[in-house]
Amino acid sequence: MTVTAPPTTRAGAGGPDLTRAALSGRRRFSNHLATVAIWAAVGLAVVPLALVTYTVIVKGAGVMSLDFLTSDIPNSYRREGGGMAPAIVGTLLITGMAALMAIPLGVFGAIYLNEYGKQSPLARLIRLMADVMTGVPSIVMGVFIYLAWVLFVGQQTGFAGALALACLMLPVVIRSSEEMLRLVPDELRQASMALGARKWKTTLTVVLPAAISGITSGSLLAVARAAGETAPIVIVTGIVFAPNSNLFDGFNTALPAQIFRNASQPFEAAQDRAWGAALTLIVIVLGFTIIARLIASRFAIKER
Amino acid sequence: MHPDREAYLVNRNVLSRRVLVGVALAALALTGCGSNDNSTEPGGSGSDSGYASLSGELKASGASFPDAYYQEVIEAFKGEASNVTVTYNATGSGTGKKQFGEGLVDFAGTDSLVKDTDGVAADSFLYVPTVAAPITVSYNVQGVDKLQLSPETLAKIFQTDIKTWDDAAIKADNPGVELPSTPIVVAHRSDGSGTTNNFTKYLTAAAGDAWKLGSGDTVAWPASTQGGEKNTGVAQIIKQTNGAVGYVDLSDAKATQLKFAAIKNKDGQFVEPSLEGTTAGLEGATIEADLSYNPLNAAGASSYPITAPTFIIVKAKYDDAAKAELVKGFLKYLLNDGQDLAKEIDFAPLPASLKEKALAQVDKIQG
Amino acid sequence: MTLTTKSPDSRSTLAQRGGSALGDRVFSWWTLGTGLLVLAVLGLILITTVREAWPAFDAMGLRFITERIWDPNPATGDAIFGALSFAYGTALSSLIALLFAVPVSIGIALFLTELAPRRLRGPAVTVIDLLAAVPSVVFGLWGILVVAPALVPVYQWFHDVLGGVPVLGNLFGPVSSGRNFMTAGIILAIMVTPIITSISREVFSTVPRADKDAALALGATRWEMIRGAVFPHSFGGIVGAVMLGLGRAMGETIAVALVIGGSTNITANLFAPGNSMAAVIVQQFGESTGTYTAALIGLGVVLFAMTVLINVLAQVIVRRAEARMKGSR
Repeated sequence: MTVTAPPTTRAGAGGPDLTRAALSGRRRFSNHLATVAIWAAVGLAVVPLALVTYTVIVKGAGVMSLDFLTSDIPNSYRREGGGMAPAIVGTLLITGMAALMAIPLGVFGAIYLNEYGKQSPLARLIRLMADVMTGVPSIVMGVFIYLAWVLFVGQQTGFAGALALACLMLPVVIRSSEEMLRLVPDELRQASMALGARKWKTTLTVVLPAAISGITSGSLLAVARAAGETAPIVIVTGIVFAPNSNLFDGFNTALPAQIFRNASQPFEAAQDRAWGAALTLIVIVLGFTIIARLIASRFAIKER
Repeated sequence: MHPDREAYLVNRNVLSRRVLVGVALAALALTGCGSNDNSTEPGGSGSDSGYASLSGELKASGASFPDAYYQEVIEAFKGEASNVTVTYNATGSGTGKKQFGEGLVDFAGTDSLVKDTDGVAADSFLYVPTVAAPITVSYNVQGVDKLQLSPETLAKIFQTDIKTWDDAAIKADNPGVELPSTPIVVAHRSDGSGTTNNFTKYLTAAAGDAWKLGSGDTVAWPASTQGGEKNTGVAQIIKQTNGAVGYVDLSDAKATQLKFAAIKNKDGQFVEPSLEGTTAGLEGATIEADLSYNPLNAAGASSYPITAPTFIIVKAKYDDAAKAELVKGFLKYLLNDGQDLAKEIDFAPLPASLKEKALAQVDKIQG
Repeated sequence: MTLTTKSPDSRSTLAQRGGSALGDRVFSWWTLGTGLLVLAVLGLILITTVREAWPAFDAMGLRFITERIWDPNPATGDAIFGALSFAYGTALSSLIALLFAVPVSIGIALFLTELAPRRLRGPAVTVIDLLAAVPSVVFGLWGILVVAPALVPVYQWFHDVLGGVPVLGNLFGPVSSGRNFMTAGIILAIMVTPIITSISREVFSTVPRADKDAALALGATRWEMIRGAVFPHSFGGIVGAVMLGLGRAMGETIAVALVIGGSTNITANLFAPGNSMAAVIVQQFGESTGTYTAALIGLGVVLFAMTVLINVLAQVIVRRAEARMKGSR
């Protein structure tokens, strides 16, 4: 960083000097400074990631065991031991149900945008609103589902949580699927149509298969995001201490909600369970993310 | 679980539920109120046959104040009635009452009485007192192991009129105690809570004009104070922060190893929170006809003044007779065998007279 | 398909392969229906929440936004529901987050597009992806149990050093605990970094190669090239990215609820506890009844309106920037 001798010119040779040494000290200094700052920025992003990962792994591994994954949640925060089985079951079922609802709907929505609506005003409105919907805070979605569904059916259930997560996933699936459909070359469509296939048939048997890997990976990322959502779960699903595999009847719970509840406990046993749940959740989320990346890189349509 | 066995269990559940409905209807039709005498009988030792034949699911939510106690009772009840699942979700009194009113839960726990705005119809429910517990004023001040506070000083601390621990008012309550100049950090509930309600009611009653924030599940705390989720969240803040003071139930305060202050009671004595002090407070309180009562700032030289009652509210009449039987079964267990569990985790059991009244109240539940 | 083999007429074969026109129509309606679902959900959110929040809006009027007192149970008189303190907490914590996150994100994006050796590019992208993948509640857990207690001495040091300085002193006031606006801002910064980074990176990568080469050919250093060719070109896109990050930060609930301190507070002191709109909803929603519930839903409405507004603006800006960049290519 120190500025060394001022670069006096060797201009005597004739033409302009284009070597580094010819730069003024100030210019060289600011270039250096910028480079250092940019590297520092990368470092600043690595530090929290490393710290979080380290803490979660160290503290989470301390309680992690087969027992932890398969035991019921102790119904008193103070009690030691126990596990997170109900929350794992809940997370998998609720997120799975949400994916089951949001992905097909989202893909069809994307098909509308890319194959039918294109640049029509309606399609553009839907596109903009889908982007806006990705920005709707999850707590607002939770309150909405509470008012529109929980009060309607008269009970907090896992399904209510799935509905909230589905609403959060839907716009993400639509937009990422649309991007993927757009990458499908028009020649494929034209070839299919030229062979006499109807548009719907073309779309379902030619366009969709061509884009399916991209759509899958985009959808998995949306699922991974949804699996970590907390606020709607806290508001609409209630709580259970033993696994409840029925999404339509009875309270349910999920890992993020358990982390949230246990995080503000003063008891070490509860905090340990929170770390264990965090490790489990991260493994699940990372699992989805990695599978998504693998699918994307393995089967990706070559960039335009 | 083996699928056959599961199917068998389910069938048995359905069967026994049908039988129960039949039995309950028959009992209602034939014996009428005569059944009262039979069911009050199994007190103490009578935990034998009554519970094992019950089956089904009970959902409840509400006060987090007695949560630790209810969860113990639920755990123990599982041993007696293995076919019953009871879930208590410690959402706080407000939610409990709201969800009870909306029909989302079968019964609710609450520290505060039902108000018109709670969404519960006036004559549709009954109060069942369950336990009582002292609310401690817990603190974390390095170098201070013993603290005495009068209601007026307490009010000033929680209104942040007093900023540091060596303030003259605190010194006056604690002659001869070395107090540091650490700034006071007030911790309170960030969620609405029956504990806040009882604590602020106490200040309203005991500190008089010195307390200006009123009382309720949520009050407008001064800006520089800290909020925590549930009693345990407040306990966590106190534990983490030097100079902190907050109100926490005795059970959570003890489990978290917090230090708590002795509070000056109506008779002018400084009393530390204890189960004995709480029971003394309960005996000094007047019980209303609907079994609601207010032990706050009770008279008596040994009464701890910040004693909170807690209730379970149940429907006076359940649409489903089997549900009514389940609720009755669970509450009877709680009021008989369950009372012995209370002391183990620092809750005060009901005095015998109140317990009898509560059991009679349970028998009024119709299905 | 069976039709095809039966029919000898090749024209009808072509027309009927894959079913009748009805199939096409049904399919297009169906996809349109799913597309409209987005509008329907957004519309329903607006209608249900506004309807349920109405009693509070009705009781408070404009004061719902301009009043700083939030007192559901006043000693005397009617309940007061003013969202200003929470809006302030939302705004302040989000601004702190942007203050940290924007330079870092732009730095990382520049690193990825201009600076990184090929070998490092992959790992760096992975780091950002991983940051994006960590659920916010895990950051919250880490924040309340590790970061907040650990930062107390750091905050104390800042207060000791800068507390006496005239203007700065107000910002770095007394420290009561690790749960405050600053901690919330830091945790939020970590959470919005990936989104700002990934959009900035996309924007930077659209800068025409020719512009950059031209700058370098004129003798510009790399930094001068970035300043002269990359930044002007991508300014709009960056603004959009920052606003998307802002939208994200404002709506974040759980992590903020855990570390912001839970106090109704408007103060310049960054080390003081406060609260945000989203956090208040999740903390108090369960406990409320009547107008109180309505007021909390009202907070949701205000939050919804603010995030929608910011997101629409951001999208419009990003789109316009994209269109312009495509034009210039």
